[in-house]
Amino acid sequence: MQKNNKSHHNPEKGDEDVISSLDLPDIEIPEIPKEVISTLKSRKKHMCIKKEGNESTPACNQASVPGMVTQRSCVYGGARVVLMPITDAIHLVHGPLGCASCTWDIRGSRSSGSELYRNGFSTDLQEKDIVFGGEKKLLETIIELNQLFKPSAIFVYATCVVGLIGDDLKSVCREATEITGSRVIPVQSEGFRSVNKSLGHQLACDALLEYLIGTEPPQKKVNPPQKEGMKPLQKKMETFEKILPQKMTSEDDVLESQVTSDTCVNILGEFNVAGDLWAIRPLLEKIGVSIQAVITGDSRVEEIANAHLAHLNLVQCQKSSRYLADSMEECYSIPQVRVNFFGVEETSKSLISIAEFFNDPVMMDAAENLIELETNRIKDAITPYRQRLTGKQVAVYVGGNKAWSLIRAFEELGMEVLMTGTQNGLPEDYQRIKETVRDGTLIVDDANAMELARLLEKYHPDLLVSGAKEKYMSLKMGVAFCDFNHDRISSFAGFQGFLNFAREVDRAVSSPVWKYTPSIKGSVFKNPLEYPFKSKTIFNAKSQRESNCKVSLKPQ
Amino acid sequence: MSCANVMKRDRTAVINPLVTCQPMGAMYAVAGIRRGLPLVHGSQGCSTFVRYSFSRHFREPSEIAVTSLHEDAAVFGGRKNLISGIGNLAVRFKPSVIGAISTCSSEIIGDDMEGFIKIAREDLKKKMGEKEAEKIKIVPISTPSFVENHFRGYDNAIKALVTNLAQDPGDATEKINIIPGMVNPGDIREIKHIMSLMGVEGIVLTDISDPFDSPLRPSATETRPFYPKGGTTVEEIADSSNSLGTISLCGYAGSGALSLEKKYDVPAAVGPIPIGVQNTDQFLRNLKKFTDLEIPDSLLDERGLLIDSMADLASRYLFGRKVAIFGDPAISAGIARFVCELGMIPSVVCTGVENLEFVSEMEKVAKESDEPVDVMIGSDLRALEVRLEEDPVELMIGHSDGRLFAKHLDIPLVRVGYPVYDRAGYHRVPIVGYNGSVNLIDRITNTVFDKYYDKEHWKLQQ
Repeated sequence: MQKNNKSHHNPEKGDEDVISSLDLPDIEIPEIPKEVISTLKSRKKHMCIKKEGNESTPACNQASVPGMVTQRSCVYGGARVVLMPITDAIHLVHGPLGCASCTWDIRGSRSSGSELYRNGFSTDLQEKDIVFGGEKKLLETIIELNQLFKPSAIFVYATCVVGLIGDDLKSVCREATEITGSRVIPVQSEGFRSVNKSLGHQLACDALLEYLIGTEPPQKKVNPPQKEGMKPLQKKMETFEKILPQKMTSEDDVLESQVTSDTCVNILGEFNVAGDLWAIRPLLEKIGVSIQAVITGDSRVEEIANAHLAHLNLVQCQKSSRYLADSMEECYSIPQVRVNFFGVEETSKSLISIAEFFNDPVMMDAAENLIELETNRIKDAITPYRQRLTGKQVAVYVGGNKAWSLIRAFEELGMEVLMTGTQNGLPEDYQRIKETVRDGTLIVDDANAMELARLLEKYHPDLLVSGAKEKYMSLKMGVAFCDFNHDRISSFAGFQGFLNFAREVDRAVSSPVWKYTPSIKGSVFKNPLEYPFKSKTIFNAKSQRESNCKVSLKPQ
Repeated sequence: MSCANVMKRDRTAVINPLVTCQPMGAMYAVAGIRRGLPLVHGSQGCSTFVRYSFSRHFREPSEIAVTSLHEDAAVFGGRKNLISGIGNLAVRFKPSVIGAISTCSSEIIGDDMEGFIKIAREDLKKKMGEKEAEKIKIVPISTPSFVENHFRGYDNAIKALVTNLAQDPGDATEKINIIPGMVNPGDIREIKHIMSLMGVEGIVLTDISDPFDSPLRPSATETRPFYPKGGTTVEEIADSSNSLGTISLCGYAGSGALSLEKKYDVPAAVGPIPIGVQNTDQFLRNLKKFTDLEIPDSLLDERGLLIDSMADLASRYLFGRKVAIFGDPAISAGIARFVCELGMIPSVVCTGVENLEFVSEMEKVAKESDEPVDVMIGSDLRALEVRLEEDPVELMIGHSDGRLFAKHLDIPLVRVGYPVYDRAGYHRVPIVGYNGSVNLIDRITNTVFDKYYDKEHWKLQQ
């Protein structure tokens, strides 16, 4: 690892405008030695290397430089990902068609009930709506959708256009609630409102706090008959009006006896991607904790409306849900405990801290027994993976809490985290990262595509963990890739999830294909038929096959 | 002989859209230029979600820059963002073309893109020197998201590229311009294959085949920052005014061809997309008309192979089966005609566009069908689902977004077009030309086998 220059973090200059107007003196400066990689001057302070006793956090939460290939998204995108896992609601995007077209059903967030959330709904604003305003069309659309689908709620998302033409989303939603008797919830997520999607997370939480949590459902009205015989897509529609919080886990009847009403929790920031929640829920139930609401993963509207009844908030994605947890603590005096169910150590620690919170010796016993049992169960299965992965270097570049919550999990596999970073981290996120990573780890903020390529080229990790946009660039550069984003299909949470995770990482790193790819460090790949091995990749197909036979690792 | 029942969506809401907004089509078009970079003048989501979509379909990286419009730009205009965006992009990436693509936001704010680009050009000259700055072409592409759909965006982009980059005619060439439309890399390669058998040199406007299907191998021609190899060069686009003719494969992508015809007397032929026997014949006739070259034996053999597989498969397994086709209007119309040639019935053809070329194309197809064809325009997947719930078909042909209701209705889905993210390699395998049509007939027949034939008794069913 190259030595870094001093910390670049400079709070006084935090607000400095990085949009470097018309003159571009930054750009012609050649690569300065000792820097992380060559990039724009204004971007240099966004990368640093963690050192002991140093303020090693990068500059962050600033506007991306215009004209770069940013990995960031917009405020609307941020709000959409947070609310989308509310499964029995309609997510209506008020704007031109593209905002809905590009974002419907792109989250691998799974549902055990309604599939309504997977549909894409748009008001499809046209030129005349831009000129005369889209409020009338929005109201019409909401009424129509309510008739067709009878959803538990309709979330209405504002897009850039709505902010520009000045549609009053809140008053339309209020009117629509009166007309339809359904919950119609405005989300003020105009795309351009912030430099990244973090504000969108917050705005989504605001919508929940203001319009859903702790509220009664509006009086349902008798709707006129449906048009053109359309039927709702979801498998079954349930009404939740009479369901008490204790019965929310009724799908797992076996464990219901252990559920006690005074240990009822919400999980915040668990999106049930690839069914992670379904791996976490049994663990909690085994130690006698019941789940009131998950915000949001496999969620129903009325569960969230009753979230204020819980005794504790478990905060899994501390990035998107920190704000919500703080607000709920303030409004409803619900305390919070940070949890992290990725990795054996972190999962164990989380279970212990929940038991500690409830200060219940029975629960503590149950937690300790569970941890021992599960750890022993997966210990042997993990060994072959660890053998192959030990010493491998990994780079993490993600959108949320995974930038720190995955670090320990990789270390448990014997891997070294070379770099970690996020597109949209806030100062407190980088503080968490700094606390978690070892000295010498590279921390990057909002790396754009070119910077990411240069980082991969220069530091040459054995694995990149990121999302779909980075995937093919990474592979094209001969760096193995593991998806830890919306698109993954195996659950990585809990003890069994850790095994799945180990298998996925091993599959990525140990694939024989890396035998045939040129080393990105090697300058020119002169004779493609000479198979220059990448020095660090030692592949043993035979041992992998054997281990696969020994350990049967079926996804859940 | 039968008729087309044209119907429109009868609700306000769009549910499960079949189209997206204009800028996406423009990004697709600019990505097909060698060292061409799209620069989206809008919010970050405008580029990010499209990159995500491209990555999912092509399984390739895609570089799309954005000017990151924020609240201050919404108030004061996006001038600063666009000008510094162009500056940063030019200096960092040294592209050959920057396609400056407008969005809903920038159009509503009323940013004068052409004016800003002029300033940016002057600025670049100062920073990089006149010679270096001249090498970077900046093309404004107006794509207001609230007007029509991504097919229009593609058409606008091709027209903008041709208008800005084609130079006044010099020495006439023997080349043919091809505007492929939003087809896959495999399709463009098949078109090039046909042209090479004919002995015609072509200019593909624009050629995404290599950029969106590139080898894992350091490029011999391009250094990092990595541009994929291939793509249409600026010189080729400049030269397009000297060609013998322009063929636009898709009905919606004709503006560039017509502009070349009007401005430089390069004759144009727009559509139909060469899928199936008649449409591919038509494409070859167009080539022959423009070049005066004879159609070689090798192509007649390829045609023979298509007819052969139709004879082998169509009457036995496909005849009389009802099909629903949805997605891209040009591809849908092409496939509708092809399924008629196979003796199948295109009961429903559904697209998100409302353009008249598509309707008249479908009216022609309906005349070849034995039964009436429901033509759904300005429609969405939900409307198609409701239609198919009432009156089911045996097979659907369309893109991956239909997979959920295909499963729900238990109708097998043959995947074609964009996007296909739940099958491997579909962007690589052509469906155009005689060869592509053979692929398509195989794909359809195999799906029919899987669904409608007893897997235990293959031998009896041969």
